[in-house]
Amino acid sequence: MTTPPPGRRQFLAGTGAVGAAALLSGCVTSGSTGKSESGGDVTLQSNLSAPQAKTAMQKVVDDFGKQGGGKAKLNTVAAETFRTQLPTYLTSANPPDLYTWYPGSVAESYASKDLLLDVSDIWTKPELTGYSAALQKLCTSAAGKKVFVPTTYYWWGVFYRKSNFAKWGVQEPKTWDEFLDLCDTLKGKGVAPIGLGAGGNTPWVASSWFDYLNIRINGATYHRELLAGKHRFDDPEVRKVFDRWGEALPYFDPNSTALPFQDATTALLQGRTGMMLIGTFFADSVPKDQVEDLDFFRFPVIDPKVPVAEEAPTDGYFASARTSREAEVKELMRYLATAESQEIYLKNSSGTALPTNPDAKDSGTALVKKGRALIEGAAELTQYFNRDSSDALQPPADAALTRFLAKPKEIGSILTTWQRDSQKIWGR
Amino acid sequence: MAAVVTGSPPKEREQPTAKEDKGRRRKRSTRVPPVVLAFVLVPLLAEAFWVFWPAVQGFYLSLTEWDGVSAPRFIGLGNFREMLHDDIFRTAVLDTVLWLLLFGGLSALLGLGAALLLQQERRGVGFYRAALFLPVVFSLVATALVWQAMYQPDGLINQVLESIGLGSLTRAWLADQDTALYAVIVPALWRQIGYVMILYIAGLKGIDPVLYEASKVDGASRWQRFRHITLPQLRSVNAVVLSVIVIDSLRSFDVVWALTRGGPYHSSELLSTYMYSTAFQSLRLGYGSALAVVIFVLAFGVIASYLVRAFREAD
Repeated sequence: MTTPPPGRRQFLAGTGAVGAAALLSGCVTSGSTGKSESGGDVTLQSNLSAPQAKTAMQKVVDDFGKQGGGKAKLNTVAAETFRTQLPTYLTSANPPDLYTWYPGSVAESYASKDLLLDVSDIWTKPELTGYSAALQKLCTSAAGKKVFVPTTYYWWGVFYRKSNFAKWGVQEPKTWDEFLDLCDTLKGKGVAPIGLGAGGNTPWVASSWFDYLNIRINGATYHRELLAGKHRFDDPEVRKVFDRWGEALPYFDPNSTALPFQDATTALLQGRTGMMLIGTFFADSVPKDQVEDLDFFRFPVIDPKVPVAEEAPTDGYFASARTSREAEVKELMRYLATAESQEIYLKNSSGTALPTNPDAKDSGTALVKKGRALIEGAAELTQYFNRDSSDALQPPADAALTRFLAKPKEIGSILTTWQRDSQKIWGR
Repeated sequence: MAAVVTGSPPKEREQPTAKEDKGRRRKRSTRVPPVVLAFVLVPLLAEAFWVFWPAVQGFYLSLTEWDGVSAPRFIGLGNFREMLHDDIFRTAVLDTVLWLLLFGGLSALLGLGAALLLQQERRGVGFYRAALFLPVVFSLVATALVWQAMYQPDGLINQVLESIGLGSLTRAWLADQDTALYAVIVPALWRQIGYVMILYIAGLKGIDPVLYEASKVDGASRWQRFRHITLPQLRSVNAVVLSVIVIDSLRSFDVVWALTRGGPYHSSELLSTYMYSTAFQSLRLGYGSALAVVIFVLAFGVIASYLVRAFREAD
């Protein structure tokens, strides 16, 4: 009666349960943060969560394991989670080793804080010495160290369906005036000439128009300087970009800011819109039999005096400076730079990207050949709005551009707001 | 067990005198058993580590400027000063107030209405209750996806409008700055009404039917019965509903983020979405934390003041 024995048993069971729960939750958190002990496999943190890309990554990692230089473990994370967690990964005491991400100013923002592994030595190896000078420059930090290994890139162009252009009896335009004429013809046929896809969760697609108009009117150098905060968004040069955009605005699909790019792709394929400025990744949502029918043309030239630049966003890898497996990580990065591994990836993914290794074969379709020629013929390459600036500058740009698309007359106050919001991020 | 029943007569139970029994009871009440201590302290430790500590850190971060990578820089009340001149913050506050009034007010009114309609046990009433409660069970993100499809330019809503000859009203509901906020409130409301209804039905069931009978005998009308019996009797439920509504309004995030991300150009921006996009998209974690502090103060302020008043009245 005095000391009920079940009490103590309950207590023990209680503490046991609490302890087990703590252990379990401990396992869960350590699993989700991707921590790893030294000596094990190299952890490769990937944001490529689309089914095809994920399979392709797994194939590459498996093949690396067969080479005998070490083993790697693929850890695929949803793109949005990856993006928001990346600073946390890189600053944690025991971070994942290798990450899929972007070179240029995005990598530089981490390199300048000594968070990225210096991989200058692997750039002297035969796999990487053949890489183009532009790529070499792109992967070098401001301090002169190589911090990135690029593996693939893709291009942007004005895409259309060959069968539809044939049906409407129209040709690819070369200049801005020809482009506007084409738009006019299409509009006369009851087709919305320009699809966009800046609605839903993909408002960033609108930045492609800003990028291209800016590099065609003010040039790539000005564009990069603008995004780095050396010019202002309310400068007269930027105003000129929107004046040109205003000329094309009546030809934009009225649903430009209502549909995400995947739905805009469907509208293009169904012939409700005539063409669309988009990156090759959109082909992931195109049925295989219709990919054959796709073609593109270079964004029209506006000022012939401005050297022609193209958007060629490059993807690849950087490693954490705090990795405990430096040798294995470098071995994996060297492997990822080989023609062999890039071919494995391209063969298993949607295949519209181009390999960075000059010896690697692309998928060889007419579209990819044309894309490669487009990039090789460009005087300068840019990455994309967020990659040439930072992800933090994307939301103010999205707000400004969607507002311009809805209310072009308010351009003055739009640019003032854009400059003020961007200033808060540059001034950080 | 068997030995106790057969062997010993119930001696033990007779032994302690009333005095002793009293003393032992007092002793037991002062000494907290270790089990209870453990059940209080272990969750408290976990709570302190996973909830209180991050919350305190959040308060500290609101006084800093931090990009998530470098060390936070202390800037005092700079973030809060910036809010005073921040147009988007002003929009977000106004939208949050509008949200609180429309989402909160309508869900309370319609929830109460549905509860009054569906409180009586009639045939088939269970079906209607279940139908109204069903949206609560769905994930809000899944709900948002369904509504997104309906709001599309060629979606269900526009099709229906066109088929009944109201084609002039069709628009891109989520991409139009004049309709985006209201278009987002509707799915949130659709879900909340069922929840509030259940709370009110529970409250209505707790009212003593004798009160109604007595009032009927006294010749009270339907309205008088509602006004002088139902409403006063629901006071405690109202406190719960108000807390739920205020908390749910201020933390409404998922449905807005899934449908518009606060756009187009901030026209459906709430404090919660603005906080998220500042902290995790613009990587201004200091300013984002300051916004979180504002949300906390608002929620806590409204609820605390109501609860204090409610308790004072109860005393």
